[in-house]
Amino acid sequence: MDFANLAAQLNAGTILPEGIVITTLMVVLVGDLIVGRSASRWLPYAAIAGLLSATAALYFQWDNVSPISFLGAFNSDDLSIVFRGIIALSAAVTILMSIRYVEQSGTALAEFIAILLSATLGGMFLSGANELVMIFISLETLSISSYLLTGYTKRDPRSNEAALKYLLIGASSTAVFLYGVSLLYGLSGGKTQLDAIAAGIANNSAGQSLGLVIALVFAIAGIAFKISAAPFHQWTPDVYEGSPTPVVAFLSVGSKAAGFALAIRLLTTAFPLVTEEWRFVFTALAVLSMVLGNVVALAQSSMKRMLAYSSIAQAGFIMIGLIAGTDAGYASMVFYLLVYLFMNLGGFICVILFSLRTGTDQISEYSGLYQKDPLLTLCLSICLLSLGGIPPLAGFFGKIYLFWAGWQAEQYGLVLLGLITTVISIYYYIRVVRMMVVKEPQEMSAAVKNYPEISWNLPGMRPLQVGLVLTLVATSLAGILSNPLFTLANNSIVRTPMLQPAVVSREVGQ
Amino acid sequence: MLNSQLPWLTSSWKVSYALTGSAVLSRGNPALEAALTGGPGFGELSAIILLPLIASLAIPVLPDNRGRTVRWYALGVGLADLCLMVFAFWQQYDLQNSAFQLVESYPWVPQLGLNWSVAVDGLSLPLVLLTGLLNTLAILAAWRVTHKPRLFYFLMLVMYTAQLGVFVAQDILLFFLMWEIELVPVYLLISIWGGQKRLYAATKFIIYTAAGSVFILVAALAMAFYGDTVTFDITALGLKQYPLVLELLVYAGFLIAFGVKLPIFPLHTWLPDAHSEASAPVSMILAGVLLKMGGYGLIRINVDMLSNAHVYFAPVIAILGVVNIIYGALAAFAQDNLKRRLAYSSIAHMGFVLIGIASFTDLGISGAVLQMVSHGLIAASLFFLSGVAYERTHTLVMEKMGGLAQTMPKAFALFTAAAMASLALPGMSGFVGELTVFLGIATSDAYSSSFKFVVVMLAAIGVILTPIYLLSMLRQVFYGEDNSGIIIEEYLGDARPREILITLCLLVPIVGIGLYPKLATQTYDVKTEAVATHVRHVLPVIAKQQPSTLYARTLIAPAVASSNASESNAISTR
Repeated sequence: MDFANLAAQLNAGTILPEGIVITTLMVVLVGDLIVGRSASRWLPYAAIAGLLSATAALYFQWDNVSPISFLGAFNSDDLSIVFRGIIALSAAVTILMSIRYVEQSGTALAEFIAILLSATLGGMFLSGANELVMIFISLETLSISSYLLTGYTKRDPRSNEAALKYLLIGASSTAVFLYGVSLLYGLSGGKTQLDAIAAGIANNSAGQSLGLVIALVFAIAGIAFKISAAPFHQWTPDVYEGSPTPVVAFLSVGSKAAGFALAIRLLTTAFPLVTEEWRFVFTALAVLSMVLGNVVALAQSSMKRMLAYSSIAQAGFIMIGLIAGTDAGYASMVFYLLVYLFMNLGGFICVILFSLRTGTDQISEYSGLYQKDPLLTLCLSICLLSLGGIPPLAGFFGKIYLFWAGWQAEQYGLVLLGLITTVISIYYYIRVVRMMVVKEPQEMSAAVKNYPEISWNLPGMRPLQVGLVLTLVATSLAGILSNPLFTLANNSIVRTPMLQPAVVSREVGQ
Repeated sequence: MLNSQLPWLTSSWKVSYALTGSAVLSRGNPALEAALTGGPGFGELSAIILLPLIASLAIPVLPDNRGRTVRWYALGVGLADLCLMVFAFWQQYDLQNSAFQLVESYPWVPQLGLNWSVAVDGLSLPLVLLTGLLNTLAILAAWRVTHKPRLFYFLMLVMYTAQLGVFVAQDILLFFLMWEIELVPVYLLISIWGGQKRLYAATKFIIYTAAGSVFILVAALAMAFYGDTVTFDITALGLKQYPLVLELLVYAGFLIAFGVKLPIFPLHTWLPDAHSEASAPVSMILAGVLLKMGGYGLIRINVDMLSNAHVYFAPVIAILGVVNIIYGALAAFAQDNLKRRLAYSSIAHMGFVLIGIASFTDLGISGAVLQMVSHGLIAASLFFLSGVAYERTHTLVMEKMGGLAQTMPKAFALFTAAAMASLALPGMSGFVGELTVFLGIATSDAYSSSFKFVVVMLAAIGVILTPIYLLSMLRQVFYGEDNSGIIIEEYLGDARPREILITLCLLVPIVGIGLYPKLATQTYDVKTEAVATHVRHVLPVIAKQQPSTLYARTLIAPAVASSNASESNAISTR
């Protein structure tokens, strides 16, 4: 293989966005090393700039004619581009909200950002990974960075506990996933590329073997852990409660998006022979997640725990699109993740801001916040109501699209359950809004009574404010002006060859 | 049919319409001419719907003088919107046309098939005007809201848009969206400015309504995805032919959703709580407009779009209507809280709407719409006046009131007038509404005479119960001994000019419609007639096809011959 041929096979241009993220990571590490502590004044902005330029690079990769790169290990199709964009953006917003938080917790900011960037890198590679080894490596990059992040505030015992729990459960789920994947490798006759695996299994007529089903179940267990679907959700509430809040925000959006990207790619490419089975398993997961997430969230008294259960429930809703398995279904997942990015991160920014100012995250401590901090109240209300699917906010359109796609794919029971659990979810979201808005001045909680003067001039508060306003605007307007987002989501699915087998085969047939 | 039976209900609108029409035309304004000749809408309707919402966005940044600027601003927006709708309808609405007018349709989210398509027809027009009037008056009624005024007026304006949107949406997904938008403002309005048990009432309201609206979405999806094309357009959905089972299920879904809102008997329990705990301006809108969303939905979707299923469900609806009337009246009698009594009387009055809807006659459906408009005006004035009394006495328990007539003669006079309207005194709109419904059901040829007899008898008993509880309410509150313990706040005294103005704005149309019902009926007669004709068209077909299903045999089958006859009569007379 000569050099030109090799370069064409590697097609390294496709990972330009990841290259930018790696460069940013280097800049952050080296900059911190050379300049020292004072570098934390510009490092986060450099990281955000890097992530945004990675997103811009992704934009220029749209509709890439030759998406396959690195000898088939990486597939930079439109689906992966959308997911990589979601992950990069979620990391950028996470940095916005983490500057003040990390400084206040007395830990080094540069290392935090470096680990976050490597987690982002893992997530982005995972979204496009097209080969078992690649999948495993990027999954581990994401996971190990996440373990580090959850334990980042090392003086806080709850953070340590969360990290340990996450590490143990995560490691075992990775082991299970790895076992499933190794079965796949064996069944296909030693293939590692996803499409080759499907072909290999079909050739070896191992299609209906028990081994394939076991491989499927084990792989799903690994994915379900990442997207925190019930019953693989046990880590979620504890980790969410104990970890630093910006990390939770990233886990709930970026890491979850990476999990869904993996789910779509792995299941549709490597398991086309057992489509019925994986749909069935995911139906069970979706039902459990929606019911358990929404019902248990009712009983939570800590805001972060409530958001943890809410994120389990949201994963359940998104799975409806996956189970539908149609273009509209996948597109509705992408669309929902896009709006979920804004509304969930917006919610977490508000939680961070509140806990920075008062030092608590108990729901009851939010009473009467409207009198003291109207902007925070507005933003948190809008984000929570959007999560609850109240029109005309973005979440309503996201949910409608999911249910629309589900109904189109004749998943009547799931849609009905989704709607009913949405009503339940409105109750616990609006409970927080009620706490903040309805309570009279005399019913104010102690934390709100001692609410500090609102000042955005403290170091690290400006980025929080920017993030707050950005997510607020996006959550309010992304629904009403949702056309570009809908088009983006649809195109990302329609122009991804992997999801269009029927179209491809028809074209080949002609 | 309408002409022959109630000649005083109709007269020559055509003349006056022609006059105004030509007067406008003679000005030679090409745009107006195009509009008058039925050209496409120019965005007036969208402007009417969106004006309050867009205006509400400016409220947080208004310079404020302890809520004074905000309330003038809100009132200005309300009035401007009311004027805008009167002007737009005056210029462009053709009362002789039963089709949708001022049609606007823009794709909003084409991937979903969601269109921003709005239009008015005879069913929407009176309710849109009612919404405009009541919301403006409610803003005026809320003049003394000093607690978080910005939030209050913001929510009021958002709610205004949502109500208008529900009445004009021609896309069922848009209808659902508007229906849902209204939830959170109402929740907050009740739970912040409400009475003692406001949190309980507000939570009950939002859970009931949200759970009910789930059925709208499910039924809409089921209808939209049936057949070859996916569409959410109400007209297109009405033209689709559904299998009977699907249609019955969809009908039942809508019936539950609208039954929560209207409310229909077993689904009504949120209403007394919400209406009695909300503050006066909010309960004006709750009773005046929000209940009508249920009735409007029933006529627009259940009767007009799902006529086949309506034939099966109509007897059930008539019976539920009777239950509403009797139950509402009896329960109202047992209340010792003024607003709870009024709330139960609302349930009773909505029973007439149900009976009218179930009647299969144009008179009955026309009566149902009239009853909705009239109840909107009457209930709003009663709730407003009870708010006036509450501001002065700080209690709603009727036993603690008493003898108010001496200290507040003007309020007493107004309250009495409104109560008389509510108990259907001839010359007031309530009388015309209920009478038309009675005539509609009595002349209906779809039901056997024994069924009609029972329904009319029981509804008539309800009509007798109404004066009993309303008059006893007046007696307890205004007559009798001046109870100790009640202090009329001196600085308030009797009803103020503002309060009298609000009540008069409601009482004048009440009396106007009572004396000359055509004021209201002309706006929707053509449409209700079309709806009734459409439903009656289906009636003999279903009765023949399925002689033994559900209620059809006993109640409808005997009437096949006569309904056929009247059908052919109707056709031949045209």
